[in-house]
Amino acid sequence: MTYDKNSKKIVDIIQSFARKHSLWILGYGTGCGAIEIPPTMTSRYDGERFGLRGAATPRQADVLLITGYLATKTLKRVIRSYEQMQSPKYVIGFGSCTINGGMYWDSYNTINALAQYLPVDVFINGCMPRPESVISGFIELQKLIAEGRADGAEKYQKNLEWYRENQKKVIHNWKMPDYNW
Amino acid sequence: MQKKDCIENTCVERIQKIFQTAEVEIQRDKRVVVKMRLDLVPPFLAYAKDYWNFKHLAHISCVDWLEENEFELVYMLWSYETNIMLMIKSRVDRSKPEFVTLSHIWPQAETYEREIHEMYGIDFEGNDRLGEFILEDWEGIPPMRRDFNTIKYSQENFYQRPGREDAQSVRETISKHSGEEVPDFAKEFSIRRIEE
Repeated sequence: MTYDKNSKKIVDIIQSFARKHSLWILGYGTGCGAIEIPPTMTSRYDGERFGLRGAATPRQADVLLITGYLATKTLKRVIRSYEQMQSPKYVIGFGSCTINGGMYWDSYNTINALAQYLPVDVFINGCMPRPESVISGFIELQKLIAEGRADGAEKYQKNLEWYRENQKKVIHNWKMPDYNW
Repeated sequence: MQKKDCIENTCVERIQKIFQTAEVEIQRDKRVVVKMRLDLVPPFLAYAKDYWNFKHLAHISCVDWLEENEFELVYMLWSYETNIMLMIKSRVDRSKPEFVTLSHIWPQAETYEREIHEMYGIDFEGNDRLGEFILEDWEGIPPMRRDFNTIKYSQENFYQRPGREDAQSVRETISKHSGEEVPDFAKEFSIRRIEE
């Protein structure tokens, strides 16, 4: 599987078509935005027609939804879950707390900009975004996958030192395994 | 105003007869506030639970009076029979904040005391489980105290995303539309101060 943007072979087109129509979301509601996931999935704003369903473990998941604020305590666990997911994987930042801190911008416990700590593909605006916004965020992610531009996992591997430096500034007691892909 | 022989008044008279240094007042219907010395609080709570009908401890809260150099502990008791909420307020010295635990009267007081110890720094003698509770690896002063500057901590430790160049202040936009002025107490929040 090649991430080279210049050569688009028929294999890439078929693979990205298959990937974008079956996105398994890790069942980890990190913040208060997770309350908008059940309405999106149930029958009124049917999310399952896009291929979205829940996954039980990080090894089986494609998408990590960071729904809302991230305390430093949660960030440590989220990093561990993200590194256990297997490529290709995508991260969606839900709500305004992932963009610039949102309602909790002045809190001593929550981080303000998610893009410094994890590679985010799509940001969905709102507090909380309505199910229509959630679905439009997923459609945006599908477009990125089809063009081959959703390369968060590769960015993470290449710039691992930069991400680690930012993470270690915030998480003081770093007792995590060192991944070496 | 309350009637002369209502339940809250009988409550007030009973407290004033037995604990004469306490200041009791009726806040509103079904709410009685008692201000008392710190060393009378454990006997009063034991009396309220065993010899009276305030059997339920609803909450223990803490207020930081920075200017008077004191913490104020508030115990909230509820009575199922008369539906009265009794709030007992007492002051703790801020330079040496300590008190005794009340978990031998109500076991749930241990959890409230753990939270107050983590957030304000009051030491409860006899409570074995004080320590790291909600925050993880927290170094620094207890964060709910008023002399902890949480905005400054957040700006120094977490990366702030810079704002847009054409950003508008919400208050000033609303005041332009409605024709009213931004009030004085809100003026300092209208100015963007992230890039400082």
